[in-house]
Amino acid sequence: MAVIKDLKTKEITINMGPQHPATHGVLRLMLELDGETVVKCTPYIGYLHRGTEKLGENKTYATALPLTDRLDYVSSMSNNIGFCVAVEKLLSIKVPERAQYIRTIMAELTRIANHIVWIATHALDIGAMTVFLYSMRDREWILDLYEMTCGARLTVSYPRIGGVRCDVTREFMESCYQFTEEFPEKILQYETLIDKNRIWLQRTVGIGIISPEDAINWGLTGPTLRGSGVPYDVRKFAPYDAYDKVDFEVPIGKNCDVYDRYRCRMDEFRQSVKIIRQCLEKMPEGLVLAPEAPGYDMPAVPPKKPAAPPPKTAEGEAPPPPPPPPPPEETGPVFNELYVATEVPKGELGFYFISDGTGKPYRMRLRAPSFVHAGVLPKLCEGSLVADVIANIGTIDIVLGECDR
Amino acid sequence: MTLKDIVNRFFLIEILKGMALTFKMMCTRAVTIQYPKQRRKIFPGFRGKHAFVRDAKTGKEKCIGCMKCANMCPAQCIYITKTKIENKMVVEKYDIEALRCIYCGYCVEVCPTCALVLTEAYEYSAYTKDEIYFNKAKLLQNWDDFASTYPADEYFNKFWRPDGIDTSKMVKAKKEQGPVPTRPVPQPAEPQPETPAEKPPEKPAEKTETKETE
Repeated sequence: MAVIKDLKTKEITINMGPQHPATHGVLRLMLELDGETVVKCTPYIGYLHRGTEKLGENKTYATALPLTDRLDYVSSMSNNIGFCVAVEKLLSIKVPERAQYIRTIMAELTRIANHIVWIATHALDIGAMTVFLYSMRDREWILDLYEMTCGARLTVSYPRIGGVRCDVTREFMESCYQFTEEFPEKILQYETLIDKNRIWLQRTVGIGIISPEDAINWGLTGPTLRGSGVPYDVRKFAPYDAYDKVDFEVPIGKNCDVYDRYRCRMDEFRQSVKIIRQCLEKMPEGLVLAPEAPGYDMPAVPPKKPAAPPPKTAEGEAPPPPPPPPPPEETGPVFNELYVATEVPKGELGFYFISDGTGKPYRMRLRAPSFVHAGVLPKLCEGSLVADVIANIGTIDIVLGECDR
Repeated sequence: MTLKDIVNRFFLIEILKGMALTFKMMCTRAVTIQYPKQRRKIFPGFRGKHAFVRDAKTGKEKCIGCMKCANMCPAQCIYITKTKIENKMVVEKYDIEALRCIYCGYCVEVCPTCALVLTEAYEYSAYTKDEIYFNKAKLLQNWDDFASTYPADEYFNKFWRPDGIDTSKMVKAKKEQGPVPTRPVPQPAEPQPETPAEKPPEKPAEKTETKETE
């Protein structure tokens, strides 16, 4: 036995990904291993880079919206809403109340759909396969609800600047209400399978601990931060849409580990159902698009205002009258820069616009939660076992489409 | 550790509960759809294969070549060529490269004459790129294919005039767009060799679209 104790092995470097099924896309992790222990972990990103930010600069605000579908493709509706909320603030457009409620419903449905995919893949990575099958069954209903409303299941492009594209139908409202009735039972099913399962507990409890201070310093947001006990939620701190008119709680964790982050997301399921229910009950009648909203054929360059009156050269004796005061600024974009954050299922999605007064953004910067969360992986993984790397990737809930943009 | 915990630990209660659930699920009806044999219901307004609505009066497309769709298309997959014939602008070519299309449906929404539509057809894979490069004739053909399989006699795409949106700013043709017939309407101008027995005589009157909203 003494021989083995004195044995000095070389650290080996292995690549996990980009084609590893448990890295949720094309994340590549360079792991330096000492036996089973991870000594160093370096994430490499960029395998799914499509230049969304640059593409956005070449499109008008109205047509740049479909790009945001393709950021985080499991919660595309939330990204759309985040984009719209940001642009509406830039153009100072007030969204009709009905549209606000519809958007809130859609955002929460998306949160459920996203967390369903998250629990499916996370549990599958750790070894619980049945959860995957059950959750995919339930996600179908949400996708049907999307299709019923806007005709697409994944890349929805349903919200538009100043409201939403079309009103929801009666059929949607009924089906959605039915969903809120039935979904809590489905959450119980997932919990029956894994909540107290000893394998699940061994794989999650005490794994990937990050203290609240560290979590804030690393810039974590969303359930990943709330699992560490920090009750930060953009929906509460800077309410947009109808979040200030509904009542909900922000679930937080205590032990800062993978299990608590799992519990946070499971509680968010219930809160989302609660929000949807309230929105369905409170939804007012009315239009769903603000009258001042720009159309899809929003001009890239604002129409020239008649700056100077045509000079009256016919008489020529009277001096030209002083130029009239410039008309009050209309709802067109002005030179401005702003950052607007919304709470997408994965965390805080921020849009930072610099506008130069035309119909296109001068600069569009996305603050993607997945990108920030991928950066915290070394902190979570170093010192743990290889198998826990999988649990850690799952718990921060990244989608590489958003991370690489 | 309480007695309950010990019992739990010893008798694998939590695992048995999970097993019981999976066993219960085994006895419920399957939710899977055996796709080629069974098909799921497509909801109205599904954004699928592109088509040009065949105008019942002229038998041609309704596109006027306003270039709104081509200018606005986020994927820039619509190509239009116009020529001047007898002092009139005529749409010579109208191509949609469906492989580049992102199916956002904005083109349907901006179209002032409701000429373009994303139909509910979704099975159109092909072996070559050319087959999915839709020109004007193919777009009309797509409409005929879709209309012949459409269950109802009239079709209205909800993105032509979306619900809940103020119609006062829309152009007149869009405001007054009603459902379009999906069955071939007998041409009143042409003498018809045989009287269509199955067609009721009030069928041509359908073209003067009623203004009832969806």
